[in-house]
Amino acid sequence: MAVVTSPLAARRKRTSKIVAALCMAAAGIALAVLFSILFTLVSRGLPALTFRLFTTETLPTGENGGLANAIVGSLIQVGIGMAIATPIGVLAGTYLAEYAQKSRLGAVTRFVSDILLSAPSILVGLFVYELMVATTKTYSAIAGSVALAVIAIPIIIRTTEDMLSLVPVPLREAAAALGAPKWKVTTLIAWRAAGAGMLTGLLLALARVAGETAPLLFTSLGNLNWSTSLSEPMASLPLTIYQFAASPYGDLVELAWAGALLITVGVLAINIIAQLVVGRKR
Amino acid sequence: MSERAPTSGRSTQGALAERGFAGVVLGSGVIVLLLLGAIIVMLAIGSAPAFREFGPGFFTSFVWDSVNEVYGAGIMIWGTLVTSLLALLLAVPLATGCAYFLTELLPDSLRKPIGTLVSLLAAIPSIIYGMWGFFVLAPLLSAFFLAVSDRFVDSPAIYNFLIGISGTSIFTAGLVLAVMVLPLITALFVEILGATPVVLKESVYGLGATRWEVIRNVAIPYGRRAMVGAVMLGLGRALGETMAVTFVIGNATRWSPSIFNQGSTIASTIANEFAEAGFGSMKLAALLALGLTLFIISFGVLAAARALVSPRQG
Amino acid sequence: MADAAPVTPTGERAQISVRGLDFYYGSNKALKNINLDFGEKRVTALIGPSGCGKSTLLRVINRMYSLYPDQRATGEVLMDGQNLIDEKVDPTDLRARIGMVFQKPTPFPMSIAENISFGVKLHERLNRAEMEARVEWSLRKAAIWDEVKDRLNSSALGLSGGQQQRLCIARTIAVKPQVLLFDEPTSALDPISTAKVEELIAELRADFTIAIVTHSMQQAARCSDQTAFLYLGEVIEVGSTSQVFTAPREQRTKDYVTGRFG
Repeated sequence: MAVVTSPLAARRKRTSKIVAALCMAAAGIALAVLFSILFTLVSRGLPALTFRLFTTETLPTGENGGLANAIVGSLIQVGIGMAIATPIGVLAGTYLAEYAQKSRLGAVTRFVSDILLSAPSILVGLFVYELMVATTKTYSAIAGSVALAVIAIPIIIRTTEDMLSLVPVPLREAAAALGAPKWKVTTLIAWRAAGAGMLTGLLLALARVAGETAPLLFTSLGNLNWSTSLSEPMASLPLTIYQFAASPYGDLVELAWAGALLITVGVLAINIIAQLVVGRKR
Repeated sequence: MSERAPTSGRSTQGALAERGFAGVVLGSGVIVLLLLGAIIVMLAIGSAPAFREFGPGFFTSFVWDSVNEVYGAGIMIWGTLVTSLLALLLAVPLATGCAYFLTELLPDSLRKPIGTLVSLLAAIPSIIYGMWGFFVLAPLLSAFFLAVSDRFVDSPAIYNFLIGISGTSIFTAGLVLAVMVLPLITALFVEILGATPVVLKESVYGLGATRWEVIRNVAIPYGRRAMVGAVMLGLGRALGETMAVTFVIGNATRWSPSIFNQGSTIASTIANEFAEAGFGSMKLAALLALGLTLFIISFGVLAAARALVSPRQG
Repeated sequence: MADAAPVTPTGERAQISVRGLDFYYGSNKALKNINLDFGEKRVTALIGPSGCGKSTLLRVINRMYSLYPDQRATGEVLMDGQNLIDEKVDPTDLRARIGMVFQKPTPFPMSIAENISFGVKLHERLNRAEMEARVEWSLRKAAIWDEVKDRLNSSALGLSGGQQQRLCIARTIAVKPQVLLFDEPTSALDPISTAKVEELIAELRADFTIAIVTHSMQQAARCSDQTAFLYLGEVIEVGSTSQVFTAPREQRTKDYVTGRFG
């Protein structure tokens, strides 16, 4: 029998091709936009990226300032935030994975953690403002750190639970069969087996909070001067970028772009490291 | 070889450690519950003066007057909903196209690196999207509308409308949000389309279906619930986004029905006006009331998203 | 107590005696009125078709089921005059006396030496030299010492499947249990590794009371002294291995060992 192309078959093939073309166009648009973002970031940030950035604090326009205090401030607040969030997140994730698989309280906790995971970060800022700033009548670096911790906790919980649930049941049973009590099975076997994945979760949380601006707006407030006191307002990279980018001064806007490039490279680098940690393990 | 000596002392010590660890992990779980409870309580207490003053009319009033201390959330609720819906309207078709492109049209060797790239883009801090919108997109849009307006010099009404469009507007904010949620939704769509059972797809291919027909008739219906959930997650992200919006929406607190005018969202208003709100002021209460409103809206959307996407996903 | 000690059908003193044991997964009764004696320093094979309850019986003996809240057992599992399934018996102490080796090798994600010392440290305080001696002793007992002695500090995950399984056996005997439970220990192994593990089980009989669940009737015939045939949660027949395989008393046993079903 000769191959006959019916009009219906021709139309179906045409539809398939048109859809493919549209999808390629969509991907093209998306890529163009994202390329534009990265191009702008690099082309405007790179020229402003100088050594001075790391050695000089923020100064008024025309005075050749840098971002040193903002960088240090970010490191301090992100560091303290992660130090608060890591134990809570890891332990709560462990609770969900090991102790609460079928419990009602566990299901509620999982739901609440998921809500927190996607809750607007500015609300976390408002909450910590009410909790710590309004009560002490002072903006402080520690309030900023707590706000970042609140953002990080649900991320750590989610990855910890996911990674622990990948640990094979027979491995836990083998440890239990040797006479290990549950808490030892969890801490010595399950944590160890899920270690790389859990570390990835910590890195992802770190990357996420390092770029957060909204929760810091009314907690650590920002500070144009050097300050390493936890009970006073403290500068941070995202807040400084926000303040400078919105300013009418060319030199400050330039600094904002340099900071934006810095933070993006940092965040992407942490993400890539995180993926490598998991990738090497598999 | 030494003999084992299971003393009762060690055994109670062991039981203590067992109960202690279980208590500590449970306690950490409870902290998370308390956290959400505390957020709700704090926002409710802080916003109480505003609700006492303005009553339920707070949600429907389109007046935000700092001078006379009269506050309503109407403008911001409108701005929040319109920018987010606009963003989804643009991002969902694009994400569908991108996801189809990534899962079906791309050669296998490119799929993984490009997939990684998409997930990396979803990790870029939102302030970067805001800066791009402010310094690149907004000037581009105003230049575009200016250029288009030249062709309508003969019809003053259209000309005046076009010339009046500024680079920063509700529309621009919608565009920037679309760009921001695009990687997120695409990544989720790719995961969902990839989860279609191969047997199911192959059996339809076996009937002579084209790639598109397989996606349309098998993969999309199969993943529909999860895809709606993914869109809701994108919506949740867009509703609460602060930095990407604040740069480009103009932060106007006057009411205007046109999406090509400057406006504000709940999050952008909180970010912008907070500096002017003193401890214990009515403005602070109004801003916290805005926060509570945003919390209720996003809680609803996120809860719906969780119900649709299985709790183990997304 | 010794005068009333139960004996197996083949006349040996029983190390473990199961009496009137019922077991439930939720509301599903998986074991029905099990009565079985495991002879001291003898190998007892548990055979039967999939789902007959043979693995479940092993998991009752070392209280593995108590990890899961919806599983429960009633009846008696007697060892040294103590009912092991009594809530008052601490399962972690009991598991030091009754070791278990699983279907698939389950090396912990740590070094070979640490795999051994993990279990020992749970129950004993040994100094460094004692621990090193114990590691060597158990690896020699499990016939894997020569293969791993030069890389005790490298990861156990780098061993082959058969080596991993023998490491798991070494890990179990390092705790110095009296009883070893094997749950289809060779089902994930190639024939050569299987032969090594079977040889090992034969040698371990000198020191341990052994129960082995197996799908392979040849395996049961090769390495056991006593065989119990289980079907649908009940012990249908138990006797010396040669009797069960050559002259079964029950028709269902005969059908199974001659390969008519299973």
